Amino acid sequence: MECNGFPYLTAILLSCVTGLFAILLVPEENRRAVKWISAVFSGLTLAFAVAVFVLYDTGRGGLQFIERAAWVPSLGIHYLNAVDGFSLPMVLLTGIVFFTGVLTMWELEHRVKEFFAFYFLLVTGVFGLFMSMDLFFIFIWYDVSLFPMYPLIAIWGSTRKEYGAMKLTLYLLAGSALILPAIIFLHVQAGGSTYDITALMRPGTFSADDQKLAFLLLYIGFGILAAVWPFHTWSPVGHVAAPTAVSMVHAGVLMKIGAFGVLRVGMFLCPEGWQFWAPLMATVAVVGIVYGALVALSQTDLKYVVGYSSVSHMGIVGLGLSTLTVEGLNGAVFQMFAHGIMTALFFSAIGYIYERTHTKMIPELGGLSRIMPVASGYFILAALTAVGVPCLASFWGELMVFIAAFRVYPLGGVFAVTGLVLSALFLLRVVQRAFYGPANEKFAHLKDVSFGLGLPRMILAAVIVLFGLLPSILFDVIDTASVAFIRGLP
Amino acid sequence: MAVPFGYVLALAGIVVALGMVCAVARRNLIMILLGVEVMLNGAAIAFTGAALRWQQLEGQTFVLFIIAVAAAEVSLGLALIVYLYHRTGSLDPQDYQVLK
Amino acid sequence: MTAAATTDATLIAALLATKLPFIAFAVILVLTRSRPRLSAGLSLAAVTASLGGAAFLLVRHWGLGRPIEYAAQWVAGGDVSVRVGILLDPLSLLMLAIVAAICFLVQIYSLGYMAGDPGFSRYYAFMSLFAWAMTNLTLAATLLQLYIFWELVGLASYLLIGFWYEKFSASEAGKKAFVMTRCGDVAFFLGLLLILVHLGNLDIRELNGPAAGRLSPAVVTAAALLIFGGIVGKSAQFPLLTWLPDAMEGPTPVSALLHSATMVAAGVYLFARLFPFFGRSPAALDVCLAVGTVSMLIASTMAMVSRDIKQVWAYSTISQLGLMIMGLAAGGYAAGVFHLTTHAAFKALLFLCSGVFIHAFHSNDMFVIGRQGGRRLRVPAACLVIAAAALSGIWPFSGFFSKELVLGALADLPNPLWVAAGLLGAFLTTYYTFRLIFILFFPAPRGLEVIHSQGAEHSHPGGYAVMAWPLMVLAAVTVVLGFGEHAIVQFLSRPFGPAPAAAHHAWLPYAAIGLGAAAVWLAWFEFGRRGAAQIGFVERVAPLHALFSERWYIDRVYRWLLDHVLYRVFSRLCAGSDRKVIDGAVDGLGQATASAGGIMSILHTGMVQYRLIVVFVAIVGLAIYFFV
Repeated sequence: MECNGFPYLTAILLSCVTGLFAILLVPEENRRAVKWISAVFSGLTLAFAVAVFVLYDTGRGGLQFIERAAWVPSLGIHYLNAVDGFSLPMVLLTGIVFFTGVLTMWELEHRVKEFFAFYFLLVTGVFGLFMSMDLFFIFIWYDVSLFPMYPLIAIWGSTRKEYGAMKLTLYLLAGSALILPAIIFLHVQAGGSTYDITALMRPGTFSADDQKLAFLLLYIGFGILAAVWPFHTWSPVGHVAAPTAVSMVHAGVLMKIGAFGVLRVGMFLCPEGWQFWAPLMATVAVVGIVYGALVALSQTDLKYVVGYSSVSHMGIVGLGLSTLTVEGLNGAVFQMFAHGIMTALFFSAIGYIYERTHTKMIPELGGLSRIMPVASGYFILAALTAVGVPCLASFWGELMVFIAAFRVYPLGGVFAVTGLVLSALFLLRVVQRAFYGPANEKFAHLKDVSFGLGLPRMILAAVIVLFGLLPSILFDVIDTASVAFIRGLP
Repeated sequence: MAVPFGYVLALAGIVVALGMVCAVARRNLIMILLGVEVMLNGAAIAFTGAALRWQQLEGQTFVLFIIAVAAAEVSLGLALIVYLYHRTGSLDPQDYQVLK
Repeated sequence: MTAAATTDATLIAALLATKLPFIAFAVILVLTRSRPRLSAGLSLAAVTASLGGAAFLLVRHWGLGRPIEYAAQWVAGGDVSVRVGILLDPLSLLMLAIVAAICFLVQIYSLGYMAGDPGFSRYYAFMSLFAWAMTNLTLAATLLQLYIFWELVGLASYLLIGFWYEKFSASEAGKKAFVMTRCGDVAFFLGLLLILVHLGNLDIRELNGPAAGRLSPAVVTAAALLIFGGIVGKSAQFPLLTWLPDAMEGPTPVSALLHSATMVAAGVYLFARLFPFFGRSPAALDVCLAVGTVSMLIASTMAMVSRDIKQVWAYSTISQLGLMIMGLAAGGYAAGVFHLTTHAAFKALLFLCSGVFIHAFHSNDMFVIGRQGGRRLRVPAACLVIAAAALSGIWPFSGFFSKELVLGALADLPNPLWVAAGLLGAFLTTYYTFRLIFILFFPAPRGLEVIHSQGAEHSHPGGYAVMAWPLMVLAAVTVVLGFGEHAIVQFLSRPFGPAPAAAHHAWLPYAAIGLGAAAVWLAWFEFGRRGAAQIGFVERVAPLHALFSERWYIDRVYRWLLDHVLYRVFSRLCAGSDRKVIDGAVDGLGQATASAGGIMSILHTGMVQYRLIVVFVAIVGLAIYFFV
């Protein structure tokens, strides 16, 4: 394998896989060992991800940490990993959500070994997709990250878990059924010799009509995963049904795979197709923003509210991607990161509450701020982030996207901005009903979150505040890629 | 030919159709076999007429083959039906849906 | 863009004034929540530093001609670079001093008022958050930076209004405040985007300067109106005014700080900040003038029938903000800003005094307090009367001078309607103010239930002293500030060059004094004199009374919109479409596949004759195909 320096990216993948095998070797009864091994290996993965983030040279930009090995040379498939300004935040995001997800499930007692095994497999697939620059591998990783979702939700989930698991898996497989023909089509149209994105990216490889067709297929296929309206209904159901850590990964990372796929595969390979379909993307995105918020207004289950809020925020990402500008791309990628962390915090906080109170229904909760102020505080912080309060991470992504959207699609921008009011309305309503108010006697005996259990939430909250106050850490990285990308467009 | 070939074919077709209907629409295994027999006879009629039409004796030879084969097949089929009847006590095809 | 620094001392003072409260907020929230005294100490230290910095800057740069600006880059991406900066000019220096002073006094007052509250640390954390956000808003150099801190101030307001979150009404009020101001903020944001797209940057000095001439008049008007939308939200003008009375659910010091003196004044401050920019669009100014007038009059009517002390002052705040906006929209820059200054002092004083009464008698109702002998608390009573006199524009208190300035600016307008409205507003203001004073201090003899002094003495003597000291400081300011009018007006107007000689309306002070006297007499007649029925002339007219006490049914309209339009129509529509249409399609697809499978499986019944049929049909088909 050719690689300059230490192969960090493969190290990330290997630490996931090694962790997986280590878990499988531990006997089922020894739950503590399983959890500690998971924590150690996920921490290791996070360390590598942070190292990659820090060591990335923003002055040079472009693809770095390239690792290349031939896999099936006769078919043109290569094991090719690299990160650029777009995928680097995603890798960091996955590392953070992975680690905090493992810590969040510390109290799991039911079939622990299998849970963490599937979980590690899931995250391996996600990491692989973000890092891979080979179309075929992207598809493989997509499916690798998809299939563990089914047992994870169906076995350890809650509300309507079988229905949710089945719906999610089938819907996402349908998405992949659209992606695979598109990938093969592109491969064949380019001469049928390689799946390498960097090679296929060269302008002139595909005709404009080919690009339009391929981009549409890719947009719908990946868009299903990104909860693009109207293909979003698997997402809230899946969120609700899944156990906490799986919801964190699902909403925090998996949905970003969708948007990232549109970016990496669709936009990189079919720029003319992208420009052609951009107005449609923008329309659908704006509808998603407003629609998601409106539906969230009438939900009574905490997780459903967060699920529809996710649909709304992914609409902002989609809007950013459709503006064809540097600010739009910056905002979209930043929002992907910020929303991922924010949603992870949401679900982590809800997870703690659900463990204690055994209910997620808002009418049954109430006055939790008095009983468990710190745990409630995490949820409220996440809610404020979702509302778009400045100096919390999500604000910057939204700001950039709205600026770009207003430039390119003024009317759409106006509608999207009204989403700010709607999100304030439904989120504050939830906070008020579930957390404020007189303490509910049923829950008066519950204890607040301890330091150890609160650690994952603390990490997530700290990340939100850090990137809210110093967004340039992320923007500098993203900028290297987005500026180069937009300039290189035909 | 005294009788036009078309009429012979028509007769053969009717006999085959009758045989098809009998094979499909009767609720009795033996009748299915009978239907098949009738279809074979229809085929024999067609062959005979064809032999006369084209003045080739191979047609009539083939009819002898058909008769022999039909006899063998019927005896085999009836043996199977008798065995099935001993096993399940029914001659109704509805009762033989194990391969659903 | 970065102007040369005069000396580093200015920059350091400005940074201290604006950044230290954030550190206090962070430390309190994370570390010292279980140590209330330490939290209060941290917060007070930070705000004292702010006050010191503000005073230093004000004194040092009293003779400031050209503004000083420092700038740095916060975020950059593509064409958009978010700069942060500190802009020091007379307006921002004055506002910073006001904000820091009132924050300081209110935080000291809160030591007594909030003593013993379980959320003491949290209170001071949020107070520091507010101080940080407000001071940065004041010194913001770009519109985007101002917007960011504008939102943060709204966040602090939400957290502080709903501070006693176990009360449903409090959390409801906090939510209402946030959502309503959000509506205004959306308009502000859109205006901001409009300017950004057309002008390329959001620098305040550029907006106020000649560069803004590049924008077409339509864009300027649209942007000005949109930004004014934000002002309407933040300063609780018509039609977004109903959140402010509800915000009185928060602790009284919060009402004093945020919802009278500083946060709601941020809207007026923004107007003054962009005064030259707004001046480019006469159409927008007309709209602002109209909105300010309507708000002023409507709020005054609502105050005339209210029983709750804090509500009266809340309506009064809306009304006075409307007056300030009228002044600014009429071109009276110094008038509007000077009134903002004096209003901050006497309105905060009004709230703080009322807070002492509320704390002592555990009731907001002025009739109840009056009957229980509110008169007995001497210092608050005296300060309350001083502040009320200032609010009514009685000489020699500060309010008289600032109101005269504003009315003078209104009189300069060609249409006499505006000054008439201003005078009417002054009349009503005096009337409802003295209504409250008389009810409070001259209660009707019937029902003079002298509840035992346990009510009055319940306030801890120590706490009372702590609360009394800020009252006296503010009262002194109220008395003296009016005489500094000339100096302050000169200070403010210096960047605009020599002021044109204002037309001298000799009749105006006499008209104002006459109306004021008439209003006091009317109030005394109805409420103050012995044997008065204590029913206002408005309350005798039942439909008017209903209209005013129902806040002109504005709340009903909003509730109706929210419930019937938003929830029942849109939300239900979308949720229903999600469940039935989209999910219906998806689930239907699944069902259809399953059903098709079910149908197809019929072909695979074990019955041999069905298979025979298939065979025969196939044969016949093939035969036809090949031979026909």
